[in-house]
Amino acid sequence: MQAIQHILQPGVFLYLVIGTALGLVVGTLPGLTATMAVAILTPLTFWLDYESGLAVLVGVWNSAIFAGGISAILINIPGTPASIASTFDGYPMVRQGKTGLALGINVLYSAIGGLVGAVVFMIAAFPLARFALAFGPAEYFALGLFGLSMMVAVSGASIIKGLIAGFLGIALSMVGLDPMLATPRFHFGSTQLMAGISFIPMLIGIFGLGEVAYQMITGEVSEEGTTFIASKKIGRMLVRAAEFVRTVPATIIGSLTGVVIGAIPGAGADIASLMGWEFARRASRRKKEFGTGSIEGLASTCAANNSCLGGALTTMMALGIPGDAVTAVLLGSFIMYGVRPGPAMFTERADFVFVVIGLMIMVNLVFLAGGFFFSRFIGGITLLPKPVMWSTIIILSIVGSFALNNRVFDVWVALLGGGLGFVFRKYGFPLGPIILGLILGPMVERNFRTALIISHGSFWIFLTKPISLVLILGTILALIGPTIFRKKKEDIV
Amino acid sequence: MKYVGKIISVSLLVAMLVLGAAAFASAETFPEEEILIIVQAAPGGVSDAVGRAMAAAAEEFLGVPIAVTNITGAAGAIAMERVKESEPDGYTIGYVPVELSMVKALGYADISPDDFDLIMRVNIVPAALTVRSDAPYQTFEEFVEYAEENPGAILVGTSGTGSIWHIAGLALEEAADVQFTYVPFDGAAPSVTALLGGHITAVTCSPTEVLSGVEAGDLNILAVLGAERTPLFPDVPTALELGYDVNVLAWGGFALPKGVPSEVYDTIADAFYQAFQSERFTGIMEDWGIELSYLDGEGFAEFANQQFEMYMDLIPRALEE
Repeated sequence: MQAIQHILQPGVFLYLVIGTALGLVVGTLPGLTATMAVAILTPLTFWLDYESGLAVLVGVWNSAIFAGGISAILINIPGTPASIASTFDGYPMVRQGKTGLALGINVLYSAIGGLVGAVVFMIAAFPLARFALAFGPAEYFALGLFGLSMMVAVSGASIIKGLIAGFLGIALSMVGLDPMLATPRFHFGSTQLMAGISFIPMLIGIFGLGEVAYQMITGEVSEEGTTFIASKKIGRMLVRAAEFVRTVPATIIGSLTGVVIGAIPGAGADIASLMGWEFARRASRRKKEFGTGSIEGLASTCAANNSCLGGALTTMMALGIPGDAVTAVLLGSFIMYGVRPGPAMFTERADFVFVVIGLMIMVNLVFLAGGFFFSRFIGGITLLPKPVMWSTIIILSIVGSFALNNRVFDVWVALLGGGLGFVFRKYGFPLGPIILGLILGPMVERNFRTALIISHGSFWIFLTKPISLVLILGTILALIGPTIFRKKKEDIV
Repeated sequence: MKYVGKIISVSLLVAMLVLGAAAFASAETFPEEEILIIVQAAPGGVSDAVGRAMAAAAEEFLGVPIAVTNITGAAGAIAMERVKESEPDGYTIGYVPVELSMVKALGYADISPDDFDLIMRVNIVPAALTVRSDAPYQTFEEFVEYAEENPGAILVGTSGTGSIWHIAGLALEEAADVQFTYVPFDGAAPSVTALLGGHITAVTCSPTEVLSGVEAGDLNILAVLGAERTPLFPDVPTALELGYDVNVLAWGGFALPKGVPSEVYDTIADAFYQAFQSERFTGIMEDWGIELSYLDGEGFAEFANQQFEMYMDLIPRALEE
């Protein structure tokens, strides 16, 4: 195979390693996203031949998604939105003194997920892309609704408080232009607010600034957040054989969920990581452990957000449709290399396709090899004195939320998020539901209304389409199931 | 906590230094410092491609680096407002799309072409009517006939209510005297996806956006809704040729905030014109299938104002329905 020779050139491999290393930095720092890194690097890679250029971009993209999990685990701040679900189990593991194991799981299962994604892309690109097209507005609505039902699972002790947080998230997501009529709403006359409340600055505020504020003001570590100093040691990073066997079902479910969600245009790695975690939780015999430091939970979400990338690439390359922001940028760079994504490229430029597949496989091996050392090195930051840690997080949060879109307004959003995060921690409101509301609220609203336009107002559209029907039944089961199957439920409020 | 005050002040200080470092810049001869191009759309689309290609090509002629930043939101109004309010010293340049002539009519922001010193128009993108190839109509006439027989049954996907491709649909609807149902999506790409999946019946976005679907044989492009045929599909007729008075096109160019000194304006306009003609720029535009259509600053201002008048009249009427 000529393609294999292409990517085994020492030069190409070197660029892949450089891209991967950059991705580690970008992913770990909250506020710097994979999209931004790929967009900034794209023009620089035109100086290179296409194999080397793609190597840099594929490297940054994959490793940033993996490295986002490192900060999610260590300091409970997702490095990129794709790692939100890694905070559910990763941070509790750190508090339990299993820092090394959590970081190790992140490395190993991100690589496994990434490999699954690449292999599915290699063997089933066209069937998968065709399946993705079956997702129309009704199906997206049902998927979003199913995701929102997770609020119950991530609410912790008080479901009422969880629902309040969740609906607050949905309410915040409604600020800005109405998705259907494009009329401004809840903007109080401000053009800045008309563009909506940016999600990533909000995320940085709630997780980062909120936790710092709580620790500084109360002098303690919040229940919800993590301690920045859990233990003096990082501990073992490798999973034991028995642990690995236990995570096999969760890994398979997480990876496959990731590939499918990735392939659906309009749902990216953030949604994939949440859904992967939820599907694995539903299937697990140890549901209760999820969210309290479950290795299965962490494994499923780490696998899901990396396998998502193979899925996203499938749709972009097989149909010529960008599924999310990163693949939109990649599509642009493909065009610059003179290759137009679409079914034709698989026959006309098969060499190019093979190079992409090869790189998508190799990048996982590269960060698998380097990720352990990098994670252990970064793990050291949790041993820093608290004031240093706090200042660093404040600076990163403010600079990161500005850098994202070059808007000072976003810094205010982050500060608002910090205030919210503080109040939430102080009064025992969970953080998971508000994030779910912010991510899934717009998806549910837009697609609900779009589906009703398509059906000329008939609600049957949600029940006559098979995928939508199954997801809606799943949602109903998730909500009423526990009350039916459980005899007594002491933690209802 | 005795540290609290100190930590907050030190952190804020550092953050401000980082953010504020770029703000201190004064110039005697232009250009001395890095220039910034503000693009109103996310990376990956046509606007971003033009902005970045121009930045890369014009650096050579201006002799300073040109950075590109993407500020999205409110149909580009946020970015254009930023350009409008920035210092008219030539160091901030905006990419301005057709929305320059639309956002006021849409009620998003008080922006009109007269708020800027326009540099040049770069490109035009016509609208086109695209349907699925397995549809019961294979030509534009058959499509119109079908729409007449089934009022409201044609689901036209748009890139958002009030967006340029929605306006294209409305203009076609008016010219053919038929009735469509509009399905707004978050941009053109999701609407094309929905068409490929069979969830809607037609889209009225640009030919570039449906290119791979048409090449694969899944989609069928029936008519160009601009003034002239597109080089991408030279065999596809325009609606005008077929007797329907529709002419909707998106366009893009560059603008400076109002009140830039004339020597600075000339320096930038010259450099951008040279860059526009460079092989580096035209090569990238060709790869993207972007139709170049140059107008100088004066011509562009006249054109943008014509469009502005048209949309001030058309949009309020169209959105009333």
